Amino acid sequence: MTGTDGLALAARGLRKSYGSQVALAGLDLSVPTGTVYGFLGPNGAGKTTTMRLLTGLIHPDAGSIELLGRPFGRRDRRRLFDVGALIESPAFYPFLSGRQNLRELAATGAPTAPGRIEELLDLTGLRDRAGDKVSTYSLGMKQRLGIAAALLSDPALLLLDEPANGLDPAGMVAMRETLRHLAEIGKTVFVSSHLLAEMQQMADIVGIIAAGRLVREGPIQELLNAEGIVRVRVAPDEVVRATAALGALGGPDAVTSSAAEPGWISVRTTPERTGEVNRTLGGAGIWATGLESGNDLEMLFLGLTGGEPGQGGEGVFFGMAGSAPGPNARGTGSES
Amino acid sequence: MRLFLSGLRKLVRRQATWVTLGLLAGLLVLIVVAVGATANRPGASSAERTTALSLVTFPGAYDVVLSFILGLGGLFAVIYGAAVAGSEWTFGTLKNAVARGESRSRYTLLSFASIAVVIAVGLVAAFAIGVVAALVGANMAGTSTAGLTDAATLGRLPEQFARGWLAIIEEGALGFAIATLARSQLAGIGAGIGLYFGETFAGIFLPDIVKYLPFNVATASVATGTATGGGFGGGARIASVDANTAIVLVGLWLIGALAVAALFTERAEISG
Repeated sequence: MTGTDGLALAARGLRKSYGSQVALAGLDLSVPTGTVYGFLGPNGAGKTTTMRLLTGLIHPDAGSIELLGRPFGRRDRRRLFDVGALIESPAFYPFLSGRQNLRELAATGAPTAPGRIEELLDLTGLRDRAGDKVSTYSLGMKQRLGIAAALLSDPALLLLDEPANGLDPAGMVAMRETLRHLAEIGKTVFVSSHLLAEMQQMADIVGIIAAGRLVREGPIQELLNAEGIVRVRVAPDEVVRATAALGALGGPDAVTSSAAEPGWISVRTTPERTGEVNRTLGGAGIWATGLESGNDLEMLFLGLTGGEPGQGGEGVFFGMAGSAPGPNARGTGSES
Repeated sequence: MRLFLSGLRKLVRRQATWVTLGLLAGLLVLIVVAVGATANRPGASSAERTTALSLVTFPGAYDVVLSFILGLGGLFAVIYGAAVAGSEWTFGTLKNAVARGESRSRYTLLSFASIAVVIAVGLVAAFAIGVVAALVGANMAGTSTAGLTDAATLGRLPEQFARGWLAIIEEGALGFAIATLARSQLAGIGAGIGLYFGETFAGIFLPDIVKYLPFNVATASVATGTATGGGFGGGARIASVDANTAIVLVGLWLIGALAVAALFTERAEISG
């Protein structure tokens, strides 16, 4: 099932307050069908509130939601029959086994196909421990069970809140591949995460939320291309002069240096302007001893949400020698 | 139906179900057997012996066993109802069901329906265990068990069971509703127990009002006519309404408690 305008999920002007605390201040979302949508934001930005609204756990003060092309309000709980969700931490009966928990959950909401539970236990690698009580599971196992629970009714739209929490590297790779596969077969995956590198590898589209509003939304490569960075290394005693010279390119705010990396200067600009950066330095009589360009979700995220980049948080960079993948390749950034 | 059966399966696998039944049956067995064993102890007065023997002599023993179960069972039902309802909030499992598009009120009411069935089974099981214990006590006390097949008493039992079941599920529903309002297992159990004993104490000062309150009407609705009838419960030491009025009030309290639980769940903002 798809929306008439090709959106699996749309929200317009969502507002939600808890007393005097504004959690969402007019959130808009547009999630195209068949994509992995990364929903990013700092703690307290409103991600979990959004997830709760999308699953009917809470209701908006204002605004509207469309799930799979149809309005979703207080009386439209059946829309959720085509939605699978993992909200906050996975919740299960500790005295039941993993398999029993899935079985009892399958008794709620939309019908579950016979054999689906065993299929999901295989998919999430829990088959061997499926008969054990959930109280004996690690966080990562509970998280995998939560993902299995979200997939129970083979939903057209999957809402996952921090699904990578507690997963080991192999589990994260498996989850990423599973979610990518789901998108490839036409399902829509809406996933919130703090793991920017994970999003950079997995998401087709990202939405960045800050203070209850969407501050940027779009295809990830478009955003990254528009938010590139060029790093240049000069002699440490020439950093001040180089910074002043490079300020002419994008303004003084676009140029930063860090005492943690003596001699390195970062210029916020598209990777295509790398040569121009080098030329500008040369014009000022300064010779670069190192030059890198790239783009990074973390920089974009921090720039849009008002955070400060951490040391060494530059993420993906492709060296001058050209041995690294091109700027459009998905790379691995650092975690925030 | 699948939701109701799921509720039953969850209750059967829940340790609290077996602990509650075990505690009730264990206390019953302990008391009845101890009474049988000590009824004829040297030094006991004639009056003491008569009282003790009445607890293990049939057909009166049927009433004793039933009144014990209905009395103490009421307190256990409050705790059990609160534990089950509160755990849905504490574990976060209600959130899962709602996020799957399940009707909140349907989920709540069917959860309680499964509790009501488990209580019915527990009532019968505890009664059977109690009767066996009374037989053992009668043998130990050397008293006759000829009254075991007393037709008049056996004929009254189905109605007493029905009334008793209704009274206990009403008390369970109160615990269920309180825990739902508290959104917490622990807070629900604590508040339920507090209300149970609070009603008894309030009866000292406001007997004309308290006699209409849930635990008192539950006790009054199952009055067996024995000296111990309702004596283990949360009330009935004050003037109570008659049994037929009481059963109507029990029904009203039951419906009210379930309506509150369902309405609250329907309107609640679920987080955590």
